[in-house]
Order: sequence, then C-alpha cells, then structure tokens
Amino acid sequence: MASAELRIIRRRIKSVKSTMKITRAMELIAASQIAKAQDRVSKSIPYVQQLRNVIRNVAAASGSSDHMLLADDRAGDVGVMVITSDRGLAGAYNTNVIRAAERYIERLDERPRLYVVGKKAQGYFRYRGYDIQRAFLGMTDRPVYGDARQIANIVLDDYARENLRSLLVYYTEFKSALTQDVAQFTLMPVEPPPSEDASEGGTTTAAAYSYEPSPEVILGRLLPRYVEASVFGALLNASASEHAARRRAMKAATENAEELTKILTRTANQARQAEITTEISEIVGGAEALTTR
Amino acid sequence: MATPFTVDIVSPEATLWSGEATFVMARTIEGEIGIYAHHEPLLAALATGAVEVQEADGGRTVYGIHGGFLQVFQNQVTLLTDRAELVEGDAEAARDKAAELKALEDDAAAEDDLTGQTGADQVTGSSDAT
Repeated sequence: MASAELRIIRRRIKSVKSTMKITRAMELIAASQIAKAQDRVSKSIPYVQQLRNVIRNVAAASGSSDHMLLADDRAGDVGVMVITSDRGLAGAYNTNVIRAAERYIERLDERPRLYVVGKKAQGYFRYRGYDIQRAFLGMTDRPVYGDARQIANIVLDDYARENLRSLLVYYTEFKSALTQDVAQFTLMPVEPPPSEDASEGGTTTAAAYSYEPSPEVILGRLLPRYVEASVFGALLNASASEHAARRRAMKAATENAEELTKILTRTANQARQAEITTEISEIVGGAEALTTR
Repeated sequence: MATPFTVDIVSPEATLWSGEATFVMARTIEGEIGIYAHHEPLLAALATGAVEVQEADGGRTVYGIHGGFLQVFQNQVTLLTDRAELVEGDAEAARDKAAELKALEDDAAAEDDLTGQTGADQVTGSSDAT
C-alpha cells in the first residue's frame, strides 16, 4: 500500500499536469491571436495616416483652430482613459498601464473624469474608490470599429458639453511580439499634425484644393473621425499587446509547471524507494527473527 | 485610352481597394462627381451612395459607401470611407448596399442613445467579441 506521503505527491503531480495542459492551450491560443491582431493593427494604419494628411491640409487652408476640437481653452475637467483587458492571466500587462495612469492621476491637482476600457481597470479603480465616469467592457479581445465609434461618441459628447476639456489615453503599444510598451497620447483636443514634409508638397499646395462644401464643414466632419480612428488604433494596439503578454505569461507558466513536475516526480520516486526499502528490511528482519529462534 | 491614375479606397479597418483606374464616379454631399486623370486638387465629403471605379485594365469595381471623404491630389485619388462594401453588380445594387450600411449606423446610434438615457455607467461592447 502506498504511503500517505507518496499519495499526496502523486496527487500534486496530477494537479500540476492538468494546470499545465490549460496554460499550454492558452499559450497556443494567444500565439495564434497575436498574428491576427498584429495584422489588424497594420491594416488600420493607412486610414489614420491619410486622415492625418487630410486634416493637415484642411487645417492649413481653413485657418484652423476655430473648431471646438482644436481649441485648447475649453471648460470642463481633465479626462483620463485607461485601456486594459477584460481577462487576466497576462502577466504584468494590465498592472503596467494602470500604474502609469494612476501615477499621472496622483500628480494632478484635480480629480479627473475617468473612462476605463476593460474589466481589469474597472475593478482596480473601483476598489480604490475612484469615480469611474464610464466603463466599456467586452471589446478588448477583438475590437471592431463600432467599439471605437461607441467610445468616441461618448467622449466627444462630454467634450461638446464642456464636461471635459481634455482627454489623455493610456494604452499599451504593440511594438513587436516581444516588446509592448505603455504609451499615452492626447485624444482631445486634437493637436493638428505638424505640417512637416514640404517635400511632399503639403505646405505649398494646401491652399490649392477646392472644397466641397467648405473647408470648415469638412474639418468639422474630419475631426470626429480622427478621434474615432485614434481610439480604434489604441484598442487594436492594446489587444495585440494583451495577446502577446498572455502568450509570454502562459509560456512561463507552462515551463514552471514542467519544472515542478520534474521535481515532484523525483520526490515521488524517492518516497517510493524509501517505502520499498522499509518493506524489504521488514521482511528480512522478520525472517531473521524466525531463524534465530 | 484615358490616362490612368492611382486610386485607394480605405476604410478604418483595412485598405479595401488599391490600384490604377481611368475613371472614378462617387457621390459627395453636393452631388455626383466624376473624376478623370489630372483632376484639380479636391477635398469632398462623401454621402451615402455608390462608388464606381473603371480599372485601368478594363475591369469595373463598385462599392457601396456610407460617409467619408474624397481627396484628389496630384493624380492620386483617396477615398476615406466610414463604411464600405464591395458590390457585385451595378450602381443600383451599390446604392441599396449603401443604404443598408446607413441603416446599420442608425441602429448603432439608436443603441447609444438608449444606453445614454438609462444613465448606466456600464456599456458592454459589441456581441461579436468572442
């Protein structure tokens, strides 16, 4: 009969092995998601880039800054948006963004309006007694443009009502499968892109455009789109980073589990050997006792 | 044969079409517009409707489009669309598709209004996040 010790160790091995199966599956799923998410990030870039180009041209032509989204002297609160995931098991992914955002909030002289994306940020800030203006859930795994539009509509509305005078977004930028960094950008007011590269003829020909209907109307339509597209970009980056972080965390967990089973198996073998030795010595001892009588 | 020029149809999620064309027909908020090569630099807001592209190799591509912008600059036409979908068939079908896309957006807007009215501080994302 197996000793109590041996039974306990075997039970642990079993449990570690089944955990390992789960972490390995999660690792593989995340790995397949990274490529898809990364693809979506790169596909979304042309739109934002073109939009930025157009805004630069129009802003130059219409004398800019009379649109509310370009004005930096609006009334209202400072806003902070934090983009995290709904699920954990992604290493330090969520903690990093949340901490960066919280550090910023602590430095502020006022209480900001807080917008959170993902259950993790919601849980964190609610637990610490922050007022959450709005929480957006269930979109971080695979964000679609409609999600970005939904977020943008709400923050644009708050901005238009002068509840909000600026909005800083904290998210995780996907640089490569190995590097993801916490990044932030000012979503509102929109900073008109600098009219750089005169080589492309941007500055000289900006006024030569004809507009249908007028530059002001076009700008008024462009800027909200730009806000949407920026949110979308941040969501996609965050999602790709989440998958990359999860893959890394799960890979480490799987490796740990492997290591642990190895150690446990060794201990189990030792225990079994010890048991056999005890049994033999008992038998030998018993036989000895009989012959010497 | 008409001189070809570059056309890009870009949506927020991807570049939908990119290539050489000889003629582009689109619908701006002020009316229909046709573009040949060497069109003057133009920036227009797009309405809901069809976009037809006469490809340089003779083919024809039709998209249903809802909202966005059209930019013509140095023989390069860029359509930045909010929503667009490829349509098999003629401009008529494309207009139907465009109207569909518009209805889709109106639905989404109505949904937003609803969540706004209840004042709930939680908004759950679209259902296709699996």
